[in-house]
Amino acid sequence: MELIVFYLRKLVTIIMNEVIVLPSRVVVVVFFLFLLFLPVFTSNQYTLRIFTLTCIFAILAASWDLLSGFTGQMNFGHALFFGVGAYSAAMINLHAHIPPWGSIPLGALVAVLAGLIIGIPCLRLRGTYLALTTLAFPIILMGLVFAFPDLTGGELGISGIERITNSRVANYYIAAGLMFGLCTIMWKITDSNTGIIFHAIREDELAVRASGINTTRYKLMAFCLSGFFAGIAGGLYAHFMRIAGPSTLEVSMSFLVVIWAVFGGVATIYGPVGAVFILFPLLEFLRFWQEYRTLMFACVLIVILLYMPDGLFPWLRDKIETECPRCKIRNISSRTTCRVCTARLD
Amino acid sequence: MKKPVVSIIIAVVVIVAAAVIYYATRPPEAAATIKIGVIGPMQYVQGIGHWNGATMAADEINAAGGIQVGDKKMKIELVQADSNEFINITDATNAMERLITNDKVDFIVGGFRTEAVLPMQDIAMENKKIFIGVGAAHDELCLRVAKDYDTYKYFFRGSPFNSSYLGRTSFIHLGTVAAILKNTLNIENIKVAIAAEKAIWTEPMIKASEGVIPKMGMELAGVWRPSPVATDVTAELSAIQRSGAHIIFTIFSSSVGIPFARQAGELKIPAVQVGINVEAQKDGFWQATQQMGNYVSTLNTYCRGVEYNELTKPFVDGYVERFGETPTYTADTYTAIKYALKPTIEKAGTLDADTLVAILENASYMAPSGKVEYLKDENGNHMHELKWGPGNITALGVQWQDGELKGFWPNKWKAVPEAPEVTYKGIVPYKIPPWVIEAYKK
Repeated sequence: MELIVFYLRKLVTIIMNEVIVLPSRVVVVVFFLFLLFLPVFTSNQYTLRIFTLTCIFAILAASWDLLSGFTGQMNFGHALFFGVGAYSAAMINLHAHIPPWGSIPLGALVAVLAGLIIGIPCLRLRGTYLALTTLAFPIILMGLVFAFPDLTGGELGISGIERITNSRVANYYIAAGLMFGLCTIMWKITDSNTGIIFHAIREDELAVRASGINTTRYKLMAFCLSGFFAGIAGGLYAHFMRIAGPSTLEVSMSFLVVIWAVFGGVATIYGPVGAVFILFPLLEFLRFWQEYRTLMFACVLIVILLYMPDGLFPWLRDKIETECPRCKIRNISSRTTCRVCTARLD
Repeated sequence: MKKPVVSIIIAVVVIVAAAVIYYATRPPEAAATIKIGVIGPMQYVQGIGHWNGATMAADEINAAGGIQVGDKKMKIELVQADSNEFINITDATNAMERLITNDKVDFIVGGFRTEAVLPMQDIAMENKKIFIGVGAAHDELCLRVAKDYDTYKYFFRGSPFNSSYLGRTSFIHLGTVAAILKNTLNIENIKVAIAAEKAIWTEPMIKASEGVIPKMGMELAGVWRPSPVATDVTAELSAIQRSGAHIIFTIFSSSVGIPFARQAGELKIPAVQVGINVEAQKDGFWQATQQMGNYVSTLNTYCRGVEYNELTKPFVDGYVERFGETPTYTADTYTAIKYALKPTIEKAGTLDADTLVAILENASYMAPSGKVEYLKDENGNHMHELKWGPGNITALGVQWQDGELKGFWPNKWKAVPEAPEVTYKGIVPYKIPPWVIEAYKK
């Protein structure tokens, strides 16, 4: 009993000293609680469907940020990883009869392989040239999908895939849980030594190489990691939708990921995730005005990017939080002194 | 100055979030009407056809007092859902889920792109809602019914008949035109050029054509594949002319159908066009080709002046009067509501899906496009697939003749030698372009 009280006290102390003190952390906790209790407040199948898909696309958007935001490897063909994950999971499930818990990770491993395959020829390229080259890969794969219709289902795709579970609530919790777990892993990676090297490669690759770091290895690692997480998203999508079709490889899918990430704020992980949670339900909400739905969506994007060029969430965070010039700890913007080192905040 | 901005943004985000949750979870209104969801790409001509056909059916039924369900009359309420399926498959499935879950529709009609209709079909079946597919032609949609009847029995094909029959009908048109050329111009060995747009859906048709054309006693002159969005096809047309082709078997669904017809007319290519040219099905084709599309023929569902039966004329004329254009096959949402759902509900006296399925799958009813009956597979399993052939649904062969689209097939058509001849009212003889007659007249 005393042990429980001890841990409860510790939890309260952490919440008081580490969470309540920063609005961004409060938002994360509220967000977590919202996702956790959503099925308690609504059993509406449509709402749960929207949020399940939102969670899946949040993983995809964060995986793009890991590669392009942090490492600077501008990938305009991210649908490749998503599509490979979706198709592989679907084929493994349908032909090898492996259930979703096996087919999704295996599909993600195939996406890792795809990451290696495109990573190696792209290592010599930078900037626009890299972006254009990566853009070509999903188009090439789509050509292969159409060239082997007996295997890939051609234009129809592969349908009749097993569901993850038969319960919409369970599907939702699986997607939400995986989203939280995988995005935390991605965030931890970017916060680790590897993440620092990813950052450094983006800022000055020559300097990193001059420091004796094998940048090739790290860039390939970024492609593979990003491919893995996007592959998981693809596999989840295929099993949720019960179809893996050419639409998963379409150019529009690649650009949608870039739009989400840029809207939320690149090189943050939380930015693209937050952006998907705003933009995907927003597009559904705009169904009440069908004719102008896409136009209104575009207007929202333009307004946000015009006034917040670094993305919505970094802008919001900068408004409500201030970084201490001395110890670099973040404080709520209403404070005049740092909560840790008491240095004066400007 | 900065803090009010932040407050405003936070307030807006909170209001939008609350509105989204309210909008998504609001309770349904009490059911006093029969709700029919009309789903399709509403920003495109196909979706507009879905909606127009459905509104026409609903208005006619409601004007007559509604549908008799047991001892009460219920009016129809249509719910439009833009599937956006040409651009986003996820959007299409969300629209379907929304129709069923939030709008609480009783039935669904529509759908167009097969890749979207397959997952849409899954959602409707999970919710045990009768979904009449009007637009997607792929066989798989109905093969699923036969394979897993208990799950997919709520799906019925509304229009068009499946892609295998579409191909078969096009080959019959090809044979008909070839026979006319042979008889009129005394051409011994008819050469056929295949002109198919560079799109994946044309691949199986090209493959089938390469096999079927020689078996039909004609020579294959070659296959040409212009881009679906090509604006200049003179190179292909010149090559076709050099190949000595007498017939160009077209397989076009995209805008290339317009420049192909226009430039063939301008260059007076001595070959007739037959097959599928979706652009040539539209009323605007004559203007778009600057009158050069004369004598172009295509497969079509409806044509002004041609009557499959006594129901065709009121539908086509009514549609033209109301919407200013000839109905396309996606407007067969009209048939799905007026001739499939209404009589079935009235016969059953209930909206219970299982009861309605049992009645509808065995039904035989007349519709503006012909007599509708549903097929069973070789094992006797229900497929809910449209029956094709004389006496049932056949579609039409239509040809542009001096600014008007005229029906030329079926004209004394016999499916098998012992079968009765089929000719629909309003069918006119096929016309060979004068420059083709001049080129081959002996």
